This record gives sequence, C-alpha cells and structure tokens, in this order.
Amino acid sequence: MSSLSVSNAHLTNELAVSIRGVGLTYTTSIDKKPTLKARAKSLGRGKKQTRVVRALDDINLDIQYGHVLGVIGTNGAGKSSLMRCVAGILPPSQGRIEVYGSVSTLLALGVGFNPSMSGRDNVFLGGLAAGMSREEIAGNFDEIAEFSELGDAIDAPMRTYSSGMYARLAFSVAAVVRPDILIIDEALSTGDAKFKEKSLNRVKELRSDDRALILVSHAMQTLRETCNDVAWLHKGQLVQRGEPNVVIDAYQEFLHLGKSAAIDEDV
Amino acid sequence: MSTPLQVYEPFKAGLPKLGRYWKSLWSRRTFIKEYSKSELREQHFDSVFGQLWLVINPLLLSAVYFILIIIIGGATDSARYAHLTASLFLFYLVANSLTGGVKSVTAGQRLILNTAFPRIMLPISALVIAIFKFLPTLIVFIVIKAIVGSPFTIEMLWAIPVLLITIFLALGLAITISCINVYFRDIASFLPYLTRTLLYLSPILYAASDLKPSLRVIEVVNPLFPILDSWSQAMVQGEAPELSSMLQGLAWATGIFFIGTYFFLSREREFAVRL
Repeated sequence: MSSLSVSNAHLTNELAVSIRGVGLTYTTSIDKKPTLKARAKSLGRGKKQTRVVRALDDINLDIQYGHVLGVIGTNGAGKSSLMRCVAGILPPSQGRIEVYGSVSTLLALGVGFNPSMSGRDNVFLGGLAAGMSREEIAGNFDEIAEFSELGDAIDAPMRTYSSGMYARLAFSVAAVVRPDILIIDEALSTGDAKFKEKSLNRVKELRSDDRALILVSHAMQTLRETCNDVAWLHKGQLVQRGEPNVVIDAYQEFLHLGKSAAIDEDV
Repeated sequence: MSTPLQVYEPFKAGLPKLGRYWKSLWSRRTFIKEYSKSELREQHFDSVFGQLWLVINPLLLSAVYFILIIIIGGATDSARYAHLTASLFLFYLVANSLTGGVKSVTAGQRLILNTAFPRIMLPISALVIAIFKFLPTLIVFIVIKAIVGSPFTIEMLWAIPVLLITIFLALGLAITISCINVYFRDIASFLPYLTRTLLYLSPILYAASDLKPSLRVIEVVNPLFPILDSWSQAMVQGEAPELSSMLQGLAWATGIFFIGTYFFLSREREFAVRL
C-alpha cells in the first residue's frame, strides 16, 4: 500500500477513482452486542440472529482529478458505506473499485480513536496507521496544529475536546497532508462559521491544485458552491448524477421540502 | 492510462495476499512502536512511580502467593520463592498480552472504521506493551535470585529460547482472543476466570515435579505448562531444560499462532461491519 504522497503529479480530468458495478451486502447482528451468552441462549430455538443489509447496489461512478464530487442522500442512503469502500476499509461484495492515487479519509471524525490520549498522539497514530512515516507527520504537524487553531489543547487528552475541536483537528489532518484524493464525510459542518469558511477555502485550494475531492454533506448551499458534480444516492442506488444545481433541486423536490431555508443552511 | 494503485474487489473467504499484507504491515512498524509507547505513557509508566509500580505490583503478587504456599504447603524455602517469582513474572507476560489483546480490536473501532491498515497491528501492539511491562520484573527476579543465593550458571542462557517461545505463544494468544472478542464481546468478561484457571493449572504455586500422577493430564492440555517448567529449570535451578518440554511448548505456540492468525486474517476485512 502506498503512503500518502506530498507531491501531486496528476493532471486535471485524469481519472482518480473508478467505481464499477459496486454492491455491498452485509449481515448485522440484531442484538446490540454479539455475545457468547446470547448465542448460547438462542442455540436450541433456531432463531435468526442477523439481518441482511443491502447497503450499495450496482453503483457506477467516476471521479476525476481537479473535480469535487458532492454526495447527497437521506440518512442510510449508503453514502458512508460507499466512501468506506473507496478508502479500502470495507471490501465491496460485488464490482470493482480502482483508485489511482493516495486516499485520505475524513470519515465522520476519523482521528482520535483513543480519547484518553492527547490530540498530538492521536494525530501521529492516525497518520502512522494510514501509512505515513513519522518524519512526514512531524513535518506536517506544525501546520496541522496551526490550521486547527487548537493552541495548547493539542496536548490535552481528546476526551476533553468539544465536538467542534474534534472536527477541526480531524479536518486539519486530512487537509494538511495533501492526499491525492480526499474524502470528507460530514465533517465540514461542525466547526464555527470562521473555521467553516477557512475549511471551504482549503477545499477550493485543493481543487485548483488538481486533487480529487469527495464531499459528503447535507449542507446544500456549500455543495452548490464548491462541487462540479453531485451524485444522489438513495437506498444504496445511484439516483442521479450531474450538475450540482440540477441534482440538488431534484433531491430537494424529492424531499418535498422545496427551497426551504432549513436545508440550504449549513447544518 | 496509468495502472491503478489500489483495486478493491469482493474477497472470497480465505487469506489476503500475504506478501502484500506483510509489506503493508512492515511499513507501519513505527505505528506499533508509537502506539505501545503512548499506551504506556497514558498508563503513566513513563514516570518514576509508574515504573516503580511495575516492579512493586509483581512483588506484592508474589508475596501474596508465597503466603498462600506457606499456609497450604507448610514449611518452604527460598528456592521455592525464587521459583514462584520467576514463573509468576513469565505467566504475567502471557496474561497481560491476553488482557491487552482481548479488547485491542474492539477498542480500535474508530481507527478501523476510518482507516485502512492491517488490523493485526492492534494485537501485536498489545503484545509489545506486555513485553515492556515484563522487562522490569526480569531485573527484579535477578536481584531476588542473587539475594536467595541461587546459582548463576551458563545454562541460564537456555531461558532466552524459552522466553522467545513464550513471546511467540503470547502473540498467538493475543491475535486469537482479539478476533474472538469481535464476535463474542463477553469473552473479555470471561477472561479473568480463564487466566486465573490457567494460573492454577500451571506449575507456578507448585513445582512441575510435585504434580500427582493422576493430574499429569494438565501437563498435556495446558499450553503454558511446558514452557513455565523449562523457564524455572533454566532461571531458578540454572539447569538446561528438557528439550522435549521446549519442543512441546514450541508446538503449542506454533499451533495457536497459525490457527489464530488464519482466522484473524481471513476475518479482518469484515471487522469494520462487525464493530
């Protein structure tokens, strides 16, 4: 597996990710936690313990460098599952995904897997797990800390962070390491107005730098402003893909909401 | 067009490509180092008193068990105490990698859901942490051995291969139990009973040679029995352990490692949906 490269050698419109006929099915356990005790209790009864979830169904998508793809859809539409497939976290059940570059994920606040460790430790560990070298992270660390505006809090345990601080650190890590392909899953909206603007500028900067971005968001106005393309997922299927305004209008119509302020607002 | 860097396709049950997996694991070896370091730092083992606790804790433990031996077994000698501490410390290396390993995957949930990396790094880190906790107790034992006047011989070097076999066994156990815990979360709650049983089934509170013939079966079913016996032979008595015991221990370690790793590797790609 490749490490996240700092340089970018990709041209505009060059293919970044190709998703071909991807389907994802998995079984989840109905019990909250799978335990030996629960298994033993239901042993004689032949009761089915699992439920089959069809998260993605025959998805075809291409993402080019220099483009920003917005992904929209209701909760449970399969947006995060698709992002996890692209990042190689979940293997697809059908189809094939080809990735032509390094991927950095910012999937629903990825950094901070150990809340009792400091922000600094978590950034290093997250980066190392993603395949970066210690030197690479150390080289980027000051910029990350500065971008996140956390100040001294960077050395405090992450359990003391507010959700906004969490999101800021997560975004900073993903945006500063300059991956070829950046996936941002609903993480833009947690910061305050100032940070949100800063991160949007960063997104635009990365776009003009010929990187590929995938934004998963419910903030329609943001998507209209930043994306070249929007894909609308519903119940694991790709409903529509194309011009942001066209797709978002169709989606909002579908929601029977029209152009209400509630969904245009970045919430 | 250039060739894709990564291709994700449906996987059949079975192992991932081992060569690639190993490369990917090896390139992340610093993660294992850093993760163990920060974990130890978080548990305050980087401070003076934290390290002191690493030494005091096993000493207190051995003192408690020594009292038990005196009360149950009557009169006893200093060699017995040396045997107890040496075996107990090695046992805790295995027990710590079990208790650290059991939740290593489930606790790494956030990381697993958000980053693609070889999941086996997590139980390996648990083993590394257990080894770091073991090292100071080794020094304590050497001091105890000198105080009770037990002989230092060249045969004590046999303890090195025995220790390596133990680490191998502990690794296999950590990998296995971390994988089982993904599917049965209550294993973590059973574990204290499991380790306690293992403690009593191992030649720690008693010498292997004291075992009643009718209980000899323990020797065969307990993976720790042969290595703890060999460890005591080498470290306490300063004699070369029996080769058959060491081979038996190695066979256990190899078996557990390969079976556990096979299950872990063939299952790890679906951990993300199981957490």
